Amino acid sequence: MSDKYKLKKWQELAPGGVITEGGNAADYETGTWRTWRPVWCEDDCIHCLTCWVFCPEGAFLLKDGQTAGGKPRKEIEEIDYFHCKGCGLCVRECPVNKQGKKQAIEFVREET
Amino acid sequence: MPTTKAITGNGAMAQAMRQINPDVVAAFPITPSTQIIEDFAEFVADGEVNTELITVESEHSAMSACIGASAAGGRVMTATSANGLALMWEMLYIAASMRQPVLMSVVNRALSAPINIHCDHNDSMGARDAGWIQIYAENNQEAYDNMIMAPAIAEHMDVRLPLMVCLDGFIISHSIETMELEDDQKVRDFIGQYQGQNTLLDNEHPVTWGALGLHDYYIEFKRGQQMAIQNAKAVIQDVSERFGQQFGRKYDLFESYRLDDAERVIVAINSVAGEIKEVVDALRDEGEKVGLLKIRVFRPFPYAEIAEALKDVKVITVLDRSTSMGAYGPLFGEIRTALYDANPRPLIYNRTFGLGGRELFPDDIREVFAESKRYLESGKIEKLFDFLNVRGG
Repeated sequence: MSDKYKLKKWQELAPGGVITEGGNAADYETGTWRTWRPVWCEDDCIHCLTCWVFCPEGAFLLKDGQTAGGKPRKEIEEIDYFHCKGCGLCVRECPVNKQGKKQAIEFVREET
Repeated sequence: MPTTKAITGNGAMAQAMRQINPDVVAAFPITPSTQIIEDFAEFVADGEVNTELITVESEHSAMSACIGASAAGGRVMTATSANGLALMWEMLYIAASMRQPVLMSVVNRALSAPINIHCDHNDSMGARDAGWIQIYAENNQEAYDNMIMAPAIAEHMDVRLPLMVCLDGFIISHSIETMELEDDQKVRDFIGQYQGQNTLLDNEHPVTWGALGLHDYYIEFKRGQQMAIQNAKAVIQDVSERFGQQFGRKYDLFESYRLDDAERVIVAINSVAGEIKEVVDALRDEGEKVGLLKIRVFRPFPYAEIAEALKDVKVITVLDRSTSMGAYGPLFGEIRTALYDANPRPLIYNRTFGLGGRELFPDDIREVFAESKRYLESGKIEKLFDFLNVRGG
């Protein structure tokens, strides 16, 4: 873990807990809250990005890719487990999962 | 030049507020502190101050508005009493934790039930753990002086905490006494300009106040807050010293009244101290070695300094004008803790008095000293905890 995520000593905190920088929710680890873990199965994913739309934490990271016909598109790259809380919305909303034959996102018990 | 003025305690606090000229006052009047805001509303209406006066629908809203205005970068004041302070409870903690130097007059009054508008200290004593600096005042002059010192203490960069100045309801708030009202300009020079920190109205530097802090950070914030209020002790001493040089009236963390060579001492808070001084003088004339230690700063509590001041005393009566139901009085707990390491340890006992405005007359105080004399002679405390002046014993 980088220094960015290192917990501060009391002397290092701003008085009153004021936050003076924007977007710092990104620094806050919510991944420890998970009891269930979504696992992305690349082989069965159709890259429709429904999971990316529904994820409340923005935990689906994207990369540039292309369709079978060669058109540029965004694709799922991986799940950011530093922020994923394990809410399961992605598992529930995934259209591949809904068809019931395959699972593009599995939901497995988090190992303790 | 100061003006000698005949004025009530509430009037004196309103004058202090006028001289401080805060940016915002948000208040919901409640007996016996009402006149403070009434007088101040007149100053606003007459254009004597530049303050935005917000009349709110409850004390909870008053303190909420104060916190918001303070976070926005303003110097903020309010006043309340008893049930009003109790209704602020949640917000008191938030003001202190968010390190907003809100200034408040607390005119001490009993909490219901039964409904009672008269003086005791259960209101501010109940708020003692909220993280506010608490400074108590014996009379109008002290209440005024404490409030004039308040901005420099609360807004000091080592402190940045809210501060309440406590004075006794009716006994002080409604009694006219003569006092020295200092010159407006001299007071303003003493107080100086307020500089807000990380203010909400600074659009160039947006900030978040009141964010979440869970098991990973909460205790670190509280540790820092504890440091800030401990820092307040030295700042109060510095500001009091500077106040003495400027205006001629000397203050410390507490007042030692005829403590040199005293064998028996009463420790008390606020207006009753004036009466105790009279009795101490009379008993001294009769050759008795008695004295008074009057608390001024209750939070942060000056344990070491009080232990030093009382180290040669043999019997200490702690008078609490409040009750911690199911426990000894709050002042007693502090004094006994302060003296635990004293060697030899004095006899210390606790008397509750004055709840709901019950009078304590000079003869009652003489009886207290008579009892402490018996304990001094026998070397033994007969009753550790009791009520004074209560029917049924």
